[in-house]
Amino acid sequence: MKLDLITRIVLVCTIAVLALLIIFPLTNILITATHENGRAVFSSIFSSPVTRQIIKNTVLLGSTVGVLGTLIGFLLAYAQTRLEFRGKKILHIISLIPLISPPFAFATAVIVLFGRSGIITRDLLGLSPVLYGYPGLVIVLTTSFFPVAYMNLLGMMRSLDPSLDEAAASLGSSKSKVFVKITFPMLIPGIASSFLLLFVESIADLANPLVIGGDFTVLSSRAYIAINGEYDVAAGAAYSVVLLVPGLLVFLLQRYWAQRKNVVSVTGKPSGRVRNIESKGAKFFLLSIPFAMSSLIIMVYVTVLIGGFVKVLGVNNEFTLDHFSYIFSGIGNDAIIKTTLLALIATPIAGILGMILAWLIVRKIRRGRELMDFLGMLGIAVPGTVLGIGYAVTFNHTTKLGEFSLIPQLAGGGAIFGGALAIIMVYTIRSSPAGQRSGIAALQQIDPAIDEASASLGASGVVTFKKVTLPLIRGALLTGLMFAFARSMTTLSPIIFITTPDTPIMTSKILSEVDAGRFGNAFAFCTILIVLVSLAMSAINLLVRGRSIESLSNPLN
Amino acid sequence: MATNSLISIAEGDSKVRASDSSRLQLSNLSKEFGQDPDRTVAVDNINLTIEPGEFITLLGPSGCGKTTTLRMIAGFENPTFGSILLDNQDISKLTPDRRPMGMVFQSYALFPHMSVYENVAYGLKIKKLPAKQIEQEVGFVLATMSLEFLANRAPNQLSGGQQQRVALARAMVMRPKVLLFDEPLSNLDAKLRSQMRIEIRQLQQRLGITSIFVTHDQDEAMSISDRIVVMRNARIEQVGEPAEIYRHPKTVFVADFIGRSNFLTVEKIQSKTKSGKIAIKVLGKNMEVDAHEDAVTASNPVLLIRPESIRIKRSHSKNQEASGTQGRVLNVVFYGAHVEYEIETEKGNLVAVVSDPKHDEIVPVGQMAEFSFDENRAWLLPSGD
Repeated sequence: MKLDLITRIVLVCTIAVLALLIIFPLTNILITATHENGRAVFSSIFSSPVTRQIIKNTVLLGSTVGVLGTLIGFLLAYAQTRLEFRGKKILHIISLIPLISPPFAFATAVIVLFGRSGIITRDLLGLSPVLYGYPGLVIVLTTSFFPVAYMNLLGMMRSLDPSLDEAAASLGSSKSKVFVKITFPMLIPGIASSFLLLFVESIADLANPLVIGGDFTVLSSRAYIAINGEYDVAAGAAYSVVLLVPGLLVFLLQRYWAQRKNVVSVTGKPSGRVRNIESKGAKFFLLSIPFAMSSLIIMVYVTVLIGGFVKVLGVNNEFTLDHFSYIFSGIGNDAIIKTTLLALIATPIAGILGMILAWLIVRKIRRGRELMDFLGMLGIAVPGTVLGIGYAVTFNHTTKLGEFSLIPQLAGGGAIFGGALAIIMVYTIRSSPAGQRSGIAALQQIDPAIDEASASLGASGVVTFKKVTLPLIRGALLTGLMFAFARSMTTLSPIIFITTPDTPIMTSKILSEVDAGRFGNAFAFCTILIVLVSLAMSAINLLVRGRSIESLSNPLN
Repeated sequence: MATNSLISIAEGDSKVRASDSSRLQLSNLSKEFGQDPDRTVAVDNINLTIEPGEFITLLGPSGCGKTTTLRMIAGFENPTFGSILLDNQDISKLTPDRRPMGMVFQSYALFPHMSVYENVAYGLKIKKLPAKQIEQEVGFVLATMSLEFLANRAPNQLSGGQQQRVALARAMVMRPKVLLFDEPLSNLDAKLRSQMRIEIRQLQQRLGITSIFVTHDQDEAMSISDRIVVMRNARIEQVGEPAEIYRHPKTVFVADFIGRSNFLTVEKIQSKTKSGKIAIKVLGKNMEVDAHEDAVTASNPVLLIRPESIRIKRSHSKNQEASGTQGRVLNVVFYGAHVEYEIETEKGNLVAVVSDPKHDEIVPVGQMAEFSFDENRAWLLPSGD
């Protein structure tokens, strides 16, 4: 299909935006990493067992969390779509909670509960396990990130055409066989992309390795130390380039392999109903892990909540509002308002950018669609630490082209808008991949003939997008937006490198409270953050409750 | 716009109709997919003129290039070479939304988030027609297609036939210069299919819209078209009216694809008799038959006899061998209106269909039968491909 003029303009603008938001900072980080101290880091990969161990740690952590998180997310999604049980809605909500809180809230609560002097481990069980390091990181990261896999797989399972299952069942397949031969293979792309997301998320995470990592050093924490402890930007850039490699490698692997399996199953024709699993034993088996997981989540968040209202949780359980008044009286106020504002600005931009990318990739461009998809996903394929360092080295000064200043200073002290622009840009590029993925998934499920029908009725590409495509993927778009907002509010690793006194960000404030050992303040801060994010998510949820693709596939609606 | 609306056309304003029907020409149209060495030619140098108001069917097995041809006309694929002329204007560079074509899709492609009414009104709204006119035209089309009572339904609340009608109404309301159908009936059951065929044909004739219909179903092609274009391996095999394609196919492929065929090898005696026919010897008999011009020079032509042209009667010969016009009945199927025989002859098996059979004249399996056919009903064509 020939691209009409407006589509071409959209394409060019999108590429320009991607160039500014991700390609330029990444290029700069590569250049910085080739400075002398950076080169020393690279050569230490071969000469120094310390550096090699850091890389091994990083890959081990990413794989473990990827596998465990995907498994848990899968079980939960399966339970939601194929099982009938009491508390289904509540389980769904609980499974999403970790999305809307800063990961180190989790780490801190886990230390208080299960640490060497934890309430449960020492006071109740008399144990003193070594939590700091690999085991603690796996527990915390898996619990923090499995909802990403859950959301991903849930959307996919809901849009699977039940008539395929019915067809297989009528051909004599048992339920378990239907699952193994039909359902599962169709979910492989979703499972693969979940693993990818979790892998990248966990190796990119900076907050938890700082809080609970102990001696288990990973690349992100090493890069952070290089920049914030050793003030060695070139070495930091070099570590982040090394961190970039496994992230991008897994990403490309998944692209190459999962891309070939694209299952179009919604054609706009009515389909059958999902047959639920009735067997009690199977139900019990399938539900045990989801319920164990949700108990853990509740426990942790109760800890966070209570921890904000008592003096020192587990030591002095006396009620107090000191933590909250500390936050509201001091610098906390400013951080709360500014963080929310910046996230609110970035979220719709990210959502729209992601959807436009999805639309261009699935429906418009043929040659170079892989590249486009890759560029769009870079924001998440690139670890937050890398992105933050990239922004710091790129936008901390004016970019000049000869005498002409091309881009003003966007980040750091003395930047325009007190560095707020750089933070919005980071939020946007970190969040748009979520919109892009959900948009692509939704678009691939829509019969291309629907777009063609619109074109043959005289609608240009953009009009078709507005009137047909967008309404059909609205559910996916808003889910993507919801995720994007929560993500912006709770992200730390890229922000920590570019936050300034003029634009304090909640997550970095929480980290400094945790660092100072003031867990009470951190818990109170987390509670406020969770409340803010939940409010925004409920608002978006109300919007989704219109006509989305899910409700359309149900003829009774 | 308001003066020559769909309503006025339908009401038989012949002047409007004449000026509104369009001629579509495909010239040297080709489509290749992929790069060397994986290049495949989907459509190979097609030349075809579709006259104003004509209903033409592209017929062929899957992969013959018929759908690609249609998609190039609609603008969903860019031709590798060649041009598409609509009323002598080259439209092959236009994007689909700028071509005055209406398309009906195999999967119907109704917008699932819009009601029937909204689906049909969609294109008119894009055209920014006044609201009142949109209401009028949509109302009229829905009435024509007997869809008014479904106007507020969502597409997934409709049966397949109803969805099909909505898809047709949605294309029709745009008053397209050319209507394109991409196997629109293949998802319907047989009874509905033949009913929709008639409906589409009647509507098309009433509105006089030039139409191109893609199908792999020969019955559909025969019953609906002014002319049939038989395609094979990216090329046009034969173009002609249904009767001509059926009676006088150009190749064995066409004969076999359209209807059922018996092919007999023959011995040529004389190329051109006084009556302009060809004298041949077949099954031990001399006859003069009509022939395709290529068959005149062909070294080993074959004779096409349609099953319904064969007559069957019980053989009284003592000879139990298949020879000449005598054969053994291998299979008999009684369909009520007709009986179908499979007969083993010295030239291979023949299929014969006898209409309105008398019960005591049906030759049972295993018996010898005497068969014959009128030489005027046979057709000689070049063998092979």
